[in-house]
Amino acid sequence: MMIVLSFVARLAWWLLLAPLLPGIINKVKAWVAGRRGPPVLQLYYDLARLWRKQVVMSTLASPAFIVGPAVAWAAVLGATLLVPLGPAAGATLSFRGDVVLMLYLLALARFATTWAAMETGSAFEGMGAAREVTYAVLAEAAMIAAMLTLAVQTGSVSLATMLAPSVGTSAVLLAAGLFTVLLVENCRVPFDDPATHLELTMIHEVMVLDHSGPPFAAILHGASMKLLLFAVLVTQSVLPMGTYSRTMASIVLLVGVLIVTVGVGIVESFMARFAFRRVPLLLTTSVLLCVFALLVAWQGAA
Amino acid sequence: MIAGPLLTLSFSALVLAALAGRRWPRTWLALTVAGSGVALAAALLVLFGTTDWEWRGTVAFGGELPHLRLDGLSAIFLALVGVLGGAGAVYAHEYWSDASHPTSAPRGRAWWSVLVLSMMLVLTIANGLHFLLAWESFAIAAFFLITLDSGARAVRSAGWLYLAASHAGTLALFAFFALLAERTGSWDLGPMRAQAGLQPLFWLAMLGFGVKAGLFPLHVWLPSAHANAPTHVSAIMSGAAIKMGVYGLVRFSGWLPVPVSAAWVLVIVGSLSALLGIAFAFAQGDLKRLLAYCSVENVGIILVGVGGALLAVADGDSPWGRLVLAGALFHVWNHGLFKGLLFFGAGSVLHATGTREMSRLGGLWRRLPWTAASFAIGCLAVAGLPPLNGFVSEWLVYLGLFDAVTSHGATAWAAIFAALMLGSAGALALASFVKAGSMVFLGAPRGRAAAQAHEAGRAMRGAMLLLAALCVGLGLAPTLVWRALARGVAAWHPAWTVAPVPGALQAIGGTQLALAMLLPAVGWFAWRKMHGRTARRALTWDCGFAAPTARMQYSSASFAGIASGWFRWILRPRLTLRRPRGLMPTRAFRLERIPETMLDLVIVPIGGLIMQTASGARRLQHGSLQAYILYVVAGLVALGAMVLGAGIR
Repeated sequence: MMIVLSFVARLAWWLLLAPLLPGIINKVKAWVAGRRGPPVLQLYYDLARLWRKQVVMSTLASPAFIVGPAVAWAAVLGATLLVPLGPAAGATLSFRGDVVLMLYLLALARFATTWAAMETGSAFEGMGAAREVTYAVLAEAAMIAAMLTLAVQTGSVSLATMLAPSVGTSAVLLAAGLFTVLLVENCRVPFDDPATHLELTMIHEVMVLDHSGPPFAAILHGASMKLLLFAVLVTQSVLPMGTYSRTMASIVLLVGVLIVTVGVGIVESFMARFAFRRVPLLLTTSVLLCVFALLVAWQGAA
Repeated sequence: MIAGPLLTLSFSALVLAALAGRRWPRTWLALTVAGSGVALAAALLVLFGTTDWEWRGTVAFGGELPHLRLDGLSAIFLALVGVLGGAGAVYAHEYWSDASHPTSAPRGRAWWSVLVLSMMLVLTIANGLHFLLAWESFAIAAFFLITLDSGARAVRSAGWLYLAASHAGTLALFAFFALLAERTGSWDLGPMRAQAGLQPLFWLAMLGFGVKAGLFPLHVWLPSAHANAPTHVSAIMSGAAIKMGVYGLVRFSGWLPVPVSAAWVLVIVGSLSALLGIAFAFAQGDLKRLLAYCSVENVGIILVGVGGALLAVADGDSPWGRLVLAGALFHVWNHGLFKGLLFFGAGSVLHATGTREMSRLGGLWRRLPWTAASFAIGCLAVAGLPPLNGFVSEWLVYLGLFDAVTSHGATAWAAIFAALMLGSAGALALASFVKAGSMVFLGAPRGRAAAQAHEAGRAMRGAMLLLAALCVGLGLAPTLVWRALARGVAAWHPAWTVAPVPGALQAIGGTQLALAMLLPAVGWFAWRKMHGRTARRALTWDCGFAAPTARMQYSSASFAGIASGWFRWILRPRLTLRRPRGLMPTRAFRLERIPETMLDLVIVPIGGLIMQTASGARRLQHGSLQAYILYVVAGLVALGAMVLGAGIR
């Protein structure tokens, strides 16, 4: 009974809380700019509206155009179930090497989204898909380095124990590296601008130009879950979660996620999107940050 | 032990198939499939049994007594050869039929059986001299298969390049086996880890087998051979033949004492192979060349596992070595299966449209639904995505590498490097196969050939579906596979005999099953639901552009543009650019071609240098009698001077 309850609670956390994050980011951006901005719950309204809408499919598209977003959504949900929510609560599923499964489920979501984007034969969507898969190369290296840092720090290869203690001296480096990965993986400024209407300059938004109705809702919801996943990861890899009591850990996690989200909003308010040729430079920086974090952690553990 | 009779049966079926191949295609098909299937059964018997099979003949052949053995390690490779030999024969029966290739099809059938048979012999022979004989016949059979379509110039030159590279490798192997026989006093092969004096010999084996495996700087022959060979041949070359090189490396790294530096070299070269191989693959515009370069990547992954296992042994038998080695051995299977599948798909596309150029294809899913579906499964598998087989083997390798890093020894540095390289290579593999799948099968047809394509027939579809089913099935039953892998690992290093299924692998098996049920269910539900909602069909929106043409689609080179920019230093693309000029520009184009950089910039100059020295020396040899007399006199004078000099002292 408890297991079922806790599973439902977790699902609620991931499914229901996630759409709040983009709302908070937009609110922060609006505040900084002195506007009132859309309501924090805007994405919920959008999702509800999209869910009722009809679907328009390109004449060229195969069934994978619809199946892709659904699979991507399910893959992200699967990845979230591997991420622990605080040391006491743990993850739904935890075993040695689950960290690799999490990375590859996110990769599966990337495959499904880009494949669905290529279905339409549109050059814009080709552009977006090409950027998405290419930037992921460096982001993946950074993620592996970050996960190795945690593994070295804790001597464990399971997310539940890897995320429990703080990273100590390498925390700042790791936080910076992971935060940059969060920005690129979730297509935020300075890598991508989710607010622009110039399709040529976008990654994620341009990939989903042709999607509509419920599949589009699945894409938006999946994206927000991914953002929440990274926010949870960043928070837990930096803070000493293992030292808090159960309630304290939950509060700290919530506050941490909030801080990361507000941070994304502030970055977006004060930075412009980079020119595309400078994006790899920033990505390489994030790889280097994570590698340095690894070296520092190595020294600390030795 | 029943494996012996099974192998005898299989070998004789294949010999008969080689003889019958020219005249009777149906008999050939039945015999080849039976021979491959029986060999597969023998391999599985050994893998899931407890004892190895060994046989020593009493009648000498070439001065040596025959010695065959089938242990866990060779059985893993034998099973792969069995599957691909059979599936490829079924595929070839339709793809390279008498009707379409009246002159080369009979030859092709006979050589196919010879190739399969000699690979099986390579895997079972445990005598250096006989090994070389089988190795040579395998190389030659592959040469004749690659050049089946010998009318085309590209095919002939690819064949010659293959033959030359293959023999350069064989030369190293001759030296290796001869020195081995000289030092041990017998041609017989078996475990000899205790004899530390044999250590340097492993470098020779690495060179010889590395050429065949297609390790990065030695891969020069591979892309053109695999791209220009008939597709069923490309499939077995990529899926099984290069695995013979891997087999050699795994086998002799298990039997010989290996210097630790060689293990480091294997890990580093394997990592670089993985990254650079897939970088080249991503930039290719030719579908089969892309697949060929991707094989370089996958061999890299496998060798990272083998090198890692060697490091673990040197590091006091660390348990993570089992994981990386098991992952590598599993990847041998997986790569064989999904690469065979992808090549079969590419062949079906080539058959239907007559082109391998991805920028001329597109939109084929409508006309080739079966091919498209199985190719998509292959793409998912090769990108290492759950819930297919490629993920499990890559996961095992990663888990081993992560364990190595947490163990905090000197080997951890190799593991960190390898993990980072494999991570980037994995992401690039995903990019390459999103590109390959979408350029060929999605969007609008980019030419008339693509618009009028036709689906493959029953035999070709059957072969593809079989391999696709195996890709799915092996991914779902990793704990079952582990039993076979554990036999291979134990054969490689006897100290690692007891290998219970790791708990984490059981968990992975569970999640794979759950995902395999959940993901299709979610997808199917979405499709039903949306279809019920009468999804309206309309033109691709394309930001409101109302008259799109197929040529406006993103092309293969543009998709890979950013990444090929990163790897420009080694890809060295050749660019032909004609900018639009004047007020009403009519003609403008931009052509980008990726040359065979390693071949053109490294091997060819070295070959040129050798040729120059050789032709310089040839000037001594010009046929004028006076000069020859002068040589003789000069030689005599020099000899006399030496003798006199010695006498005076």
